[in-house]
Amino acid sequence: MGEPAIAVRGLRKSFGAKEAVAGIDLEIAAGSLAGLVGPNGAGKTTSLSMMTGLLRPDGGQVVINGLEVWADPPAAKAIIGVVPAEARLFERLSGEELLEYSGRLRGLPAGEARSRAAQLLEVLDLAEDAKRLVADYSTGMRKKASLGCALIHNPSALFLDEPLEGVDPVSADVIRRLLTRFVGSGSTVLFSSHVMELVEQVCDHVTIIDKGRIVATGTTEQVRGGKTLQQAFIDLVGSRADGGEGLSWLGSSSS
Amino acid sequence: MARLLVQLKLRLLRNALRSSGQAKAGFIVSLIAAVLVAAGTFAGLAALRGNSASVDLTTVIFTLFAFGWLILPLLVFGLDGTLDPATLALYPLRMRSLAVGLLAASAAGAWPLANLVGLLGVTVGLARGGLGLLIALLAVVLEVLFCITLARFVTASLAGMLRSRRGKDFAALLVIPIFALYELFTQLVPKLAGEGKLSPAKFAGVDVWMRWLPPGLAAHAIQDASTGHPGTAVLRLALLAAIVVALGALWIRSLSRGLVTADSSTQSSAVRGVALPFGRYGLRGTVAARFWIYQRREPSSLVYWGITVVVMIAVSIRIILTHGYLGGLISSAVFGSALMAVLHSNSIGLSGPGFGLEAMALTGRRALRAYFSGQNIALGMVAVPLLTVISFGLAAVAKHPVDGFLGMAVDLAGIGAALGLGGIFTVTLPYPMEKRAGSPVPRPADGFTGDRLGGALGTLLGTVVAAIPVVLGVVFTRSDPATVRMPVLVVCAAGYGLALAWTGGRLAARAAEQRLPELYQIAVRSKL
Repeated sequence: MGEPAIAVRGLRKSFGAKEAVAGIDLEIAAGSLAGLVGPNGAGKTTSLSMMTGLLRPDGGQVVINGLEVWADPPAAKAIIGVVPAEARLFERLSGEELLEYSGRLRGLPAGEARSRAAQLLEVLDLAEDAKRLVADYSTGMRKKASLGCALIHNPSALFLDEPLEGVDPVSADVIRRLLTRFVGSGSTVLFSSHVMELVEQVCDHVTIIDKGRIVATGTTEQVRGGKTLQQAFIDLVGSRADGGEGLSWLGSSSS
Repeated sequence: MARLLVQLKLRLLRNALRSSGQAKAGFIVSLIAAVLVAAGTFAGLAALRGNSASVDLTTVIFTLFAFGWLILPLLVFGLDGTLDPATLALYPLRMRSLAVGLLAASAAGAWPLANLVGLLGVTVGLARGGLGLLIALLAVVLEVLFCITLARFVTASLAGMLRSRRGKDFAALLVIPIFALYELFTQLVPKLAGEGKLSPAKFAGVDVWMRWLPPGLAAHAIQDASTGHPGTAVLRLALLAAIVVALGALWIRSLSRGLVTADSSTQSSAVRGVALPFGRYGLRGTVAARFWIYQRREPSSLVYWGITVVVMIAVSIRIILTHGYLGGLISSAVFGSALMAVLHSNSIGLSGPGFGLEAMALTGRRALRAYFSGQNIALGMVAVPLLTVISFGLAAVAKHPVDGFLGMAVDLAGIGAALGLGGIFTVTLPYPMEKRAGSPVPRPADGFTGDRLGGALGTLLGTVVAAIPVVLGVVFTRSDPATVRMPVLVVCAAGYGLALAWTGGRLAARAAEQRLPELYQIAVRSKL
């Protein structure tokens, strides 16, 4: 592998006594569609926030396309796009205004921002709702609008936190195809997800994180090791529930 | 079912009390207020004994209570889980037991009790003799039942709307007229009473039409029974009881409909306009466009401006018609801009998680200067005309319309100070905000009340101090010719205000550059 598009070295973060991310190392090649998976509270969102300049790490280094994020945050931010886990948007703008605002914030001329916003809304199947307030959007529509905001300046690396959560299958397919096309042009995508089937289907690189540490990383084939990704994941992080043992009254044969 | 729902209501109140120090303080204040309202209303109604306008005033007070029951549940809709039929729609409940239970839950709590106790003041003030007393007790019970049923009917009918974004917006805006009425009452009533222009006798005959409303029926039934017209009294009470029953039937109907009807949250209209304004003005214009739209579309922004207007009028209304009107003009302008500073001293917290979009794009100090400058332009576009119009309006009321320019000079300096300080405080003392059920505007998240207090005091005092030079200019040039002093004062104040806003914006940008990730982490904790 040549110079990685995303390189993370020794990244760590603690909140009080809790170590959320315990020094992770990660390398993603340019043009990769990489997945970051892990159970709830594993440190996925904290890691992505630190990689994108939105949460100051306690230590470590993040390099994106040769730019060290925490040495020069503005330069790094200019070449990345972020879709946060909760669609963090301006609720009182319409979808159209939101995307145009995002483009203009990124320095696009007003006309260009408007034109790209219209194209993205069309591709994301939001054109009919372009003039509705974001406050009235469903969860899936917010995710798509958030993706539009992250793409409008044509970033070279895209970070997505649970991009398909709450998105209907048709919209999910639109997003999947958009991301595949995006990485086909040489750009890089890193996204976190709980949905193993999705990661297995679309990602060429997978990293499994648990309790703030990376427990497996590599190509999807390497991490799966001949099993399904779901099984490999459970084998690595362990099953934590007892499957409802003790609920003897539950079920139609009981009263 | 009634017992269970009453227990649910009490448990919800108890949990609110346990949730945070802020909630606990709010509960205690609400409890004290309920006791004061009960005691005050009882004493007020009892003091009407022997007054010629006692029945008129009692009618007015009964009507005010019903109005309160009509309006307040709309504001606290999300706060009381028993008000929303959707929360109970999942359970297999019969309509009769559900209705009885919900009515009982409505009657539980400090405020319904305060209502009942307070209104019982009529047993002393209006009732005469044994029959009068009996009718008074019945009338109060029916009045309270009417209030509860009315509140239930309105909230059940509007539940779908109140759960929606538009309904919540509407409920938030209701706080402006309520605040205005409160200010009118606390500022004007003592003044008019002190001047002898407001006495109980002045209310004689005010219930010409109110007497036919349900609260008026209750009050007049007591009067009739006490003056030897028991038949009319019973007829009035029977009519009131019939209205309560009819309202109850309507309520049960809307309740059954509400249990199987979707809310209107997905029904929304499109916004007008094809593009964001100020497209030619770069990042500054872009940010100004977003803040400008928010001043018009975000209900809490509208509430903030509404409250500012009410406060400006309220602080000056007592003296605006006296020889000291200039003091009223000045204090109105100073308090208006100081309040503006307080309400806009945490713009990053108020932007909420959406600030992430901006934080990703604000690359460097130059961009941050444009950000704060754009924000100031948008706020100034609202504040300057609004505060100036109020100043000229007050000057016109004082019959010295030209002196509106003096108020305008203080406005301009104060607004500049408010914008400058607002920027500095939003960067140095930011805190997450939360929209909670029952609160029309966002409040600081738990654990940040101290930051809120620091920001409020800092911006308030800072704005007042910064306005002093212009206030002194206004006062010490009184003997100079108006044609000379007014243009000079307005131009100098505008320049001074601009300098303050510009300096504040630059300082805020410098501070923000060093801590953009931390500011983002604050903003992302806001729940708006």
